[in-house]
Amino acid sequence: MAGLELLSDQGYRLDGRKATELRKVQARMGVFAQADGSAYLEQGNTKALAVVYGPHEMRGSRSRARHDRAVINCQYSMATFSTAERKRRPHGDRKSTEMSLHLKQTFEAAVMTQLYPRSQIDIYVKILQSDGGNYSVCVNAATLAVIDAGIPMRDYVCACTVGFVDETPLADLCYAEESGGVSSLALALLPRGGQIALLQMDARLHQDHLEALIEAAMTACKGVSKVLDQVVRQHLQEASVNSAE
Amino acid sequence: MIKTEKILHLKSSRGRKVRVVREHYLRERVPCCSCLCQAACDNDGKVLPGDLTHYVVPDVGVVVDYLEILEFRELQGVVFTQTACQAVQHSKGRRQYNRLRNLLKDPRHDCVLFANEFQEYSYCPREKGESQEQWQTRCVYSAAVWYHNHLAGMMDIVMITEDRDAIAQYGSLNAGVYVISVQDFLRDFWPQVQAAHELYSSISQALQEKESEASQKEYSEHLPAEVLEAGIKSGRYIKGTLNISKHRPQNEASIMTDGLSNKSTDLSRGVLVDGGKNRNRAVHGDVVVVELLPKSEWRGKVTALTEGQGEEKGGEENESQPMPTGRVVGILQRNWRDYVVTFPPRDGTQSQSRNSQRILAVPWDRRIPKIRISTQQADALQDHRVVVRIDSWESTSLYPNGHSVRVLGPAGELETEVQTILIENGIHVAPFSDAQLREMPVNSPEKPWTIDPAQAAERRDLRESHLVFSIDPRGCEDVDDTLSVRSLPGGKLLELGVHIADVTHFVTEGSLTDLEARLRATTYYLADRRYDMLPAVLSADLCSLLGGVDRYAMSVMWELDAHTLAVNKVWYGRTIIRSSYQLHYELAQALLNGEEAEVPELSELGPEEKDAKLAELTQALEMLTHVARQLRAQRDRGGALELEGVEVRAQLDEQRNITALVPRQPLEVHETVAECMIYANHWVARKIQETFPHQALLRRHPPPRQEFFSQLVDSAKARGFAIDTRTNKALADSLDQAMDPQDPLVNRLLRMMATAAMSQALYFSTGLESQDQFYHYGLALDRYTHFTSPIRRYADIVVHRLLTAAIDLEREAGLGQTLANNKELEEMAQHINNKNMAAQRAQKSSTALFQCLYFKERDPQTDPSCVADAVIYSIRNNGILVFVPEYGVKGPVYMKNRDGQVVAAGPDGSCEWQSGSVRQHSDHISTTSSCGTSTFRLFDHITVRISVHSAPFHGDSLNLEVVSNKRHRSPEPQQTPSQGRSQLVQEVVRLAEEASQQAQEKKAAQRPKLSKEEREFRQSKTPNLYSLLEEVRELALMDLDTAAQVCATTA
Repeated sequence: MAGLELLSDQGYRLDGRKATELRKVQARMGVFAQADGSAYLEQGNTKALAVVYGPHEMRGSRSRARHDRAVINCQYSMATFSTAERKRRPHGDRKSTEMSLHLKQTFEAAVMTQLYPRSQIDIYVKILQSDGGNYSVCVNAATLAVIDAGIPMRDYVCACTVGFVDETPLADLCYAEESGGVSSLALALLPRGGQIALLQMDARLHQDHLEALIEAAMTACKGVSKVLDQVVRQHLQEASVNSAE
Repeated sequence: MIKTEKILHLKSSRGRKVRVVREHYLRERVPCCSCLCQAACDNDGKVLPGDLTHYVVPDVGVVVDYLEILEFRELQGVVFTQTACQAVQHSKGRRQYNRLRNLLKDPRHDCVLFANEFQEYSYCPREKGESQEQWQTRCVYSAAVWYHNHLAGMMDIVMITEDRDAIAQYGSLNAGVYVISVQDFLRDFWPQVQAAHELYSSISQALQEKESEASQKEYSEHLPAEVLEAGIKSGRYIKGTLNISKHRPQNEASIMTDGLSNKSTDLSRGVLVDGGKNRNRAVHGDVVVVELLPKSEWRGKVTALTEGQGEEKGGEENESQPMPTGRVVGILQRNWRDYVVTFPPRDGTQSQSRNSQRILAVPWDRRIPKIRISTQQADALQDHRVVVRIDSWESTSLYPNGHSVRVLGPAGELETEVQTILIENGIHVAPFSDAQLREMPVNSPEKPWTIDPAQAAERRDLRESHLVFSIDPRGCEDVDDTLSVRSLPGGKLLELGVHIADVTHFVTEGSLTDLEARLRATTYYLADRRYDMLPAVLSADLCSLLGGVDRYAMSVMWELDAHTLAVNKVWYGRTIIRSSYQLHYELAQALLNGEEAEVPELSELGPEEKDAKLAELTQALEMLTHVARQLRAQRDRGGALELEGVEVRAQLDEQRNITALVPRQPLEVHETVAECMIYANHWVARKIQETFPHQALLRRHPPPRQEFFSQLVDSAKARGFAIDTRTNKALADSLDQAMDPQDPLVNRLLRMMATAAMSQALYFSTGLESQDQFYHYGLALDRYTHFTSPIRRYADIVVHRLLTAAIDLEREAGLGQTLANNKELEEMAQHINNKNMAAQRAQKSSTALFQCLYFKERDPQTDPSCVADAVIYSIRNNGILVFVPEYGVKGPVYMKNRDGQVVAAGPDGSCEWQSGSVRQHSDHISTTSSCGTSTFRLFDHITVRISVHSAPFHGDSLNLEVVSNKRHRSPEPQQTPSQGRSQLVQEVVRLAEEASQQAQEKKAAQRPKLSKEEREFRQSKTPNLYSLLEEVRELALMDLDTAAQVCATTA
């Protein structure tokens, strides 16, 4: 894209944010009664719904069961109306399979699976509206849903994408930025210990810049974790008031 | 942590109507960039001063159409809104947008950008049914109101717009925020900036014209960008830069394809674009897309000589073999610049009765089409040269539309012509501004400049320990290099030192002076004046290493083995020196030869002391010569070339005119100094390249392409010499052997052809090339840079900074500031290369200008100085190319004129026009007519008459005509006419001044303001100045007696 200037000389991005600023994050937990845990999360214009079932007995083939820990099963999908052009998205296309795999890896690193041997945890995530950073929004939504389900985790898993423009790392890319030829990196972090649950990058980037980029991603993830923490505390407060009544 | 305030949804569509929702974050704190800010905005970078009467907020339309007016530096306190910037980006494209960005970055210009769409209170969402223009105007107005409120009403805000409705609508809404039109604004606030008013009227007329365009199609439409992109990718179209032939600008143009991807070899020579229709509105330098025509329509280039201008000849008999021919289907990038045009005189032939406002002006550069200009001053501007810009070229119009920017003056006047040369070469030399001069240290009799003790402690003091001296041309003001040499105790070792003026100490990176110097990149030497890169206080005083005063220097010192000259140790560093002798070349040579010479520094001493000092100096010079000889021999073994005009000589003067090959008395001491400088440059190049392998600025001279040598080899063969061009060493040797004892000119011409075949030496950043590309072909060195003339070359300043950083790094001091990275350095190298080429071109054209002015005063039929000896150096279809050694002029001589007559030589050698035919052979051309056959061979001497071919719209050119096919016998033997040249320059300057004075008396007010400034700025009128002296040596233009006669008659 020739015309777009992703970072102006004054340090503003296309949507008016500065380089390190995140999009506005809003979330709600416990949106469905049927599921064990559920959450809805908006990060800017990207909106995702996450639902968790389990831990429960292995369904389907029992041979996949592990005797020492629970198996995590993830499914990622996008709504037909999630992008600017309506498009049917069949289950199991390559993109969503890959994304499911990434989510699975992320949560296997965070959920304390050894507490539930021979059982299974299902995480379903759906993107309702897509505006960049789909992976990280899914991770953040799923974290809230897992917490809502009461499954113990080592820490919140927070994810964020960062891009590299004009020697500056940009936090939390929106769609216009992602498609503007930026080399972007997605990072999922356990913020308290600073452990990386997943790091993914497809673009080319000079080695010298990687450190700075990861640093920026970690800062952004910690920002996200603060918001998530607030949402959880708020939800607990409401829940305890409700149950007291 | 998270500052998001609000989410808004913007609708936008693009291509297929897609509804895109984008977030838009607003914030309360957006820097206002004003001194008066009460809210402690986070203002860094440029800040508007608080002492203005008002700030200007231009409307979107004004920024898009009238940006040039806002570029005037006189206009202060301009606030560009983000809305306007985005509109420029969308409607005018990247080029214009970058121009605006550079304007905002330029610290000399008083303007800032306000991000109004991200400010909570100045942002207004677009309402339903509101047009884009209305919304933009509302945004800009609300930004203006915000500014007024933000600055607590302390500053009046003026919004300028071209929209009448907006003035009516917003004019009286707020006190303190005024909405007026551009015209009123200029009239009320800037009545004194006349140029802005003229520019305004010329732009607005051009815009009006554009609206009332006729609808008849003259050209086919360009294809849309997507189609072009796809076509290029699929190989259906070819992309390249349009290059219009200088000799046939009407019809012939070619596309230089820049991609190496061309697999088909027949495209590698480029694609021909024949005729104006096929060129389809492309202008010289544009990046265009062409489609190949079917093979049956392919044509060849015309190789015959044509007389500069006028109608093309009808016949197509002399075309070379057909080459790929195409037509332009689209233009990817316009590369329009400022053009100098001449308004035609108003005679009856041009029927402009229908609309008398429109004038077709003729550009100075023949490759540019005529430009249609609407102006009300058509009568006043007759025969004036004017700077114009092209606005657009619609398919309905035969010529592009433009507007005038600035009037240079009447055509033919010296000042006008010199300005024309500068502008056509893209050289801008405004006088140094006050802010720049304020940065300079002071050195006046009341407040003499002294050495700073802190600096003295840091630097190595060479004042007592070393005998330092400089050797330069006589009367040189900017001494940037000095030398020292001594034997070290023990006698085994020598210490050679090169001390260069420490310009970077005075010019800190990023200062205004630095920016200006970077912009100029070099000092420009024209035939009668020069434009310095640095202000005079530096170039002629504080940086100049004058004799007998303390100066800062940057030194390179070698410890050499006294016999083998193997380098033992090299020391780089900053020093303090005091030059003991400021010698000139002739004096130094006289001392070396043991002749009696008067050294001015010693004239006041007693005889004994004087002899001792003289002996000391002479000994140092001898030692230096000895060292230089050995270094030279070392390089010669490596294959260094001795060419006219390549860098070996250019060490002495970068701006040397290559065509000037008149023998000058080469002194050995020239070579000695040059050799030391080459040595210093080489070692500095090694140092910075080793310390900064990816970001050092070096200079390379790529080996020439072998096919360019064909003319040289063929010409030499005609005289029986064999030239071996395989390596630089072989070339140098064979050139040395190709010496005709009867005619020394042959060797010089051969060397000249070799020079023409060379590629240009270039600056580059080491990160961009692999190490084997660093080689300097002409000097036969593996690494080379420019270090020794920081006063007149910006590249040397960059190298000085790199060297300083390298030294600091060595002392573990760490880098004081970050160095330019590879990309920035490469950009800078490109810029300096371009400017150097522009400087060379400007110098060439200014020399040509002076030659023309000189011959204009003379009657070619009667004046003996117009008849001269010439040597044939190339044969063409219908003529020959000759070189006139006496005046250093090269040019074509036609064997056949327009009436089809040919040159016929009579028995006594005198030539006349007769009907006949011309035949071209490989080494001679012969004409056959009723009185026999006459033959002209390569390297024959003939006699030509020089006259001026007057072209009112372009520069004048010299016209050569054969008088006789025998060698010219001058009435008296040729002297070394060293003063003839300077007299010529002087005389032309004087005549021009007389003429301009007369003109001034008649219409005093009409003289453009600029010429006066230029007049002040002109520094060299006397012949003893540096540039002039160099020129004198190069070009002997007339012998003394005739010059004196002419002076007597014209005075």
